[in-house]
Amino acid sequence: MSTLLTLAPEFASVVALPAADVPPSVPRADFSDTPIWLSAVKALLLFVFLLLNTLVVIWFERRVIGRMQNRPGPNRAGPFGLMQTLFDGLKSLFKEDVKPAAADAFLFTLAPILFATMAFVSFAIIPLGGTVNLFGHQTPLQLTDLSVAALLVLAVAGVAAYGVILAGWSSGSTYPLLGGLRSTAQVISYEIAMGLALVAVFLYSGSMSTSQIVEAQRNLWYIVPAFISFVVYVITMVGETNRIPFDLAEGEGELVAGYHTEYSGFRFAMYYLGEYINMFTVSALATTMFLGGWHAPLPFNLIGDGYFDSGWWGLLWFTIKMWLFMFFFVWLRGTLPRTRYDQFMAFGWKLLIPGTLLWVMAVAFIRGAQLGFLGDSSIAIAGREIPIATLIVIGVLLVAVLVVLWLWETKMTEREEAAAKAADVPEEIDPYAGGYPVPPLPGQRLREPSTYPALPRAGATATVVDTPTVENKEA
Amino acid sequence: MIDNPYVPLLFFMTLGLLFAAGSVGAGQLIGPKKANAAKAMPYECGLQPSPKAEEGGRVPIKYYLTAMLFIIFDVESLFLFPFAVAFNQLGLFALVEMVLFVITVFVAYAYVWRRGGLNWD
Amino acid sequence: MNQEFTMVEINYWAIAPLLVVVAGALIGVLVEAFVARASRHNVQLGVGLVTYLAALVVLLAKSRTEHGLTMGGSVVIDGPSVFLMAVILCFALLSLLVMAERFGGPAADAFTPMGAATPGSDLERSAESAGWGTTEAVPLMMISVVGMMLFVSSGDLLTMFVALEVLSLPLYVLTGLARRRRLLSQEAALKYFLLGSFSSAFFLFGAALLYGYAGSVDIARIALAIGAASPVLDGLLLPGVALVLIGLLFKVGAVPFHAWTPDAYQGAPTPVTGFMAAATKIAAFGAILRLAYVGLSGNRWDWEPALIAIAALTMVIGAVMTVTQTDVKRLLAYSSIAHAGFILVAVMSFDVTGVSGAMFYLVCYGFTTIAAFALVTLVRHEGSEATDLSQWAGLGRRSPVVAGAFAICLLAFAGIPLTSGFTAKFAAFAPAISHGGAAGAWLVVIGVLASAVTAYVYFRIIVTMFFEEGAGDVVAITPSTLTTIAIAIGLVLTILLGVLPGPVLEAATQSAQFLR
Repeated sequence: MSTLLTLAPEFASVVALPAADVPPSVPRADFSDTPIWLSAVKALLLFVFLLLNTLVVIWFERRVIGRMQNRPGPNRAGPFGLMQTLFDGLKSLFKEDVKPAAADAFLFTLAPILFATMAFVSFAIIPLGGTVNLFGHQTPLQLTDLSVAALLVLAVAGVAAYGVILAGWSSGSTYPLLGGLRSTAQVISYEIAMGLALVAVFLYSGSMSTSQIVEAQRNLWYIVPAFISFVVYVITMVGETNRIPFDLAEGEGELVAGYHTEYSGFRFAMYYLGEYINMFTVSALATTMFLGGWHAPLPFNLIGDGYFDSGWWGLLWFTIKMWLFMFFFVWLRGTLPRTRYDQFMAFGWKLLIPGTLLWVMAVAFIRGAQLGFLGDSSIAIAGREIPIATLIVIGVLLVAVLVVLWLWETKMTEREEAAAKAADVPEEIDPYAGGYPVPPLPGQRLREPSTYPALPRAGATATVVDTPTVENKEA
Repeated sequence: MIDNPYVPLLFFMTLGLLFAAGSVGAGQLIGPKKANAAKAMPYECGLQPSPKAEEGGRVPIKYYLTAMLFIIFDVESLFLFPFAVAFNQLGLFALVEMVLFVITVFVAYAYVWRRGGLNWD
Repeated sequence: MNQEFTMVEINYWAIAPLLVVVAGALIGVLVEAFVARASRHNVQLGVGLVTYLAALVVLLAKSRTEHGLTMGGSVVIDGPSVFLMAVILCFALLSLLVMAERFGGPAADAFTPMGAATPGSDLERSAESAGWGTTEAVPLMMISVVGMMLFVSSGDLLTMFVALEVLSLPLYVLTGLARRRRLLSQEAALKYFLLGSFSSAFFLFGAALLYGYAGSVDIARIALAIGAASPVLDGLLLPGVALVLIGLLFKVGAVPFHAWTPDAYQGAPTPVTGFMAAATKIAAFGAILRLAYVGLSGNRWDWEPALIAIAALTMVIGAVMTVTQTDVKRLLAYSSIAHAGFILVAVMSFDVTGVSGAMFYLVCYGFTTIAAFALVTLVRHEGSEATDLSQWAGLGRRSPVVAGAFAICLLAFAGIPLTSGFTAKFAAFAPAISHGGAAGAWLVVIGVLASAVTAYVYFRIIVTMFFEEGAGDVVAITPSTLTTIAIAIGLVLTILLGVLPGPVLEAATQSAQFLR
């Protein structure tokens, strides 16, 4: 292990276990000085923080999308339209609560409450800053931490899916049911890739506790060694929150409004609220896992022996990073069209899941090489000791990537050639070849048929296209 | 119980629940109540709702397939989580074993892909 | 939390046969995914045969001498487990030969062209005309064999449960894949699945109770805990034992838990029925023997009377119900229930000769059963199997070979001397008389009477085949070499084990000692 620590210092923290006083499986954040009433106060403060952020983000989205579409966005309700969200929320409070007769009353009311509540819960384990002094107690700026905190977030996201499917089913009508099913299928398909992307982060940090993960990124943010995980996570987080380009569940024009067609008034507002809070949660999780949580970015954490990298300053950096993700969400919405459902599912199941699994295996091998499972010898390159095993593993991975790219390239060129050949217009055609007379394309000649075939009678079916046959199924 | 880390979580969840339930309840109290037959019918863009909407309709079977595949891969990632967290202590044996496990899952995945189970149609 | 990770000892040669079959199953699935449909049948048959032969070779060459606990106590390789694993592999080999029979068609005749197509739909018709077949049966069977081999070698209850599920789930699927009378087959699969899931749940619940009693799921530790007999948690013991045994007795078809057997055996494709009847019994009895003799033998005075009653009921009801059957597969199903009762008699003797007797009976019964069901696949009326007994009338005149072979199988089932049935019954009943006390003697008496009842039924079938006139349209078609080999091996062994049981009986006796 000592030979490994002579690597560049920024890699040392990735390789070595965190400080021996706290084993990685136990959360690093120290809650010993936090009495219960202080936890309750922190819960209230965090709740207010979330709601304020939600108010601002709804306004922010509408303004930014407006500007992207060359229009002002809301600017009448309050200065710069800032009160727009609040007024909209109050308005929905005063709307009539319509419930269709065919709806299952209990579930119809329970579903939005479940959805909104579960959206809030995940934020409890996100570290928002370092240890601060609140009302005379030293407490971390984090509501709570568990040794399986990241797993809690994934679990709660699964429960939130209940809110969707129950809404769809309990509305008692076809469009919401189909919308709810499609949305749930979408969420669970991408949840797998999300979990797998995070496995690479756990391999590096040796822990699922958010405070430990943030601490392990003190010197190097995980976006660098786990870059592919980051890309996959960003894609899946857009898929999980039903945002454009993946908002197929509520695609207007396809399924009316999807699973919340029958909802009005504040019940609908709960879904709206829940969607934005979900966006915050996944952005916060991305910040924690990949962008170093509340740590200051590179120039700032070197100033003044880490003054900007502790305590209340952490809240500032965290909020900036989270809002970068929110801007990214809004930018996507303003720019991209919606994908088609089967394209979306094919992308998730056929590309993301196997790709992420292979990436996790690759990271496991790289970590194994770094930790010395594959042998201890190392060579010196440019003054640093690098284990031979790491070089071999990275070499093998590069070769594998090149081979895959070469194969894909070959298949693409083959396909293009086949398409070009199929698009070739033959010089001379028989106009009755398909059973019906066809006119010639520009540059074509018609061959005179020897006998004119009898045209099919009206009403007789030539080939039944609707019956499924095994020819159009896969092997 | 004082140092149970789940207690603050419970506070937070209660806050969320109170907010959500309270607002929905407030909405039901404050909002107008002018019920009529048209509002009680399921919404189908103004058309008469088709009769099969009453019992909610049957679920097409491709959703069951997606759900089953989700279970399999989610349980696989469940096995990967403790492996990732305990990786430092486990050694080469665990790495090889996990690779074999993932290969086994990949074999099943290849079969499902080739049979068209991953096509949404 | 941060303790050093200590790896368990793994004896790879001991578990090598399991690993070989697992590798074969994975290769089988890959063949399903990537090999073109035209050659898939032959490739799968090759993969299956090579896998079973390789596993058998490894087992007999290396693993036979590698007795002991391995994988942290989860897997036990001892005499009975090696013997039963070898027998399971032999039966799997023979069943594969029968399953792969095509009768000249494009795909295996026993299995539907496309399992996912609704029976009677256009999709099914187009699949049939395209020559499709369910070659997935081969890797499914291999997975089931892995489960069976693990089931007889499990050292703790959790491994046993995992093996139980691994062996059952492919069988549920295989039961639903018959080519003809598909609705009946799917109904049989659903019944088997539902009842099998319930019994697995009972087993798991019993395992949880035993864990609560003993503090461990390890079978040896449970035995120790029972021996220590602390009175505190006593209330957990008997319910735990009862539930675990219920789960296992379901698998063999013992009497209050036999309801699935006739329906599943009748609806399943006939080669699969042969495999189920032979191999599942071996696996389940291996587990019952291990639990009864090693794990739970400490308090056997408590549960022995119940099991004796179950054995008696099984023999009686199995024998009596065969009398009224008109369908040959249902008849063989009820007769297999009766045979399970006979084997339970051997188990109840609680002596090492009981173990060897039970194992010998399983061997003899298995070979005869596979041959019998293979012969049932041959008797056809207009292309589909003629399973009604009235259709078998006069078969002796039209196809004397098939009828004669089936008659030999029936005589073996009845226990007529010079067939393996007689020596098997002798080997099973002798320990009960010498070591089973009064209850053992009574069980043997009931057994003999039940045998007489079933003998009457079998003789009636023989009379129907040879001495009655039948309609001319039921014929016995000629099988290909593979099935002929399987039937021939089954019949030869049936006679051989009746005339010269010595070697196999000796092998069973030598392998009868459990590792404690």
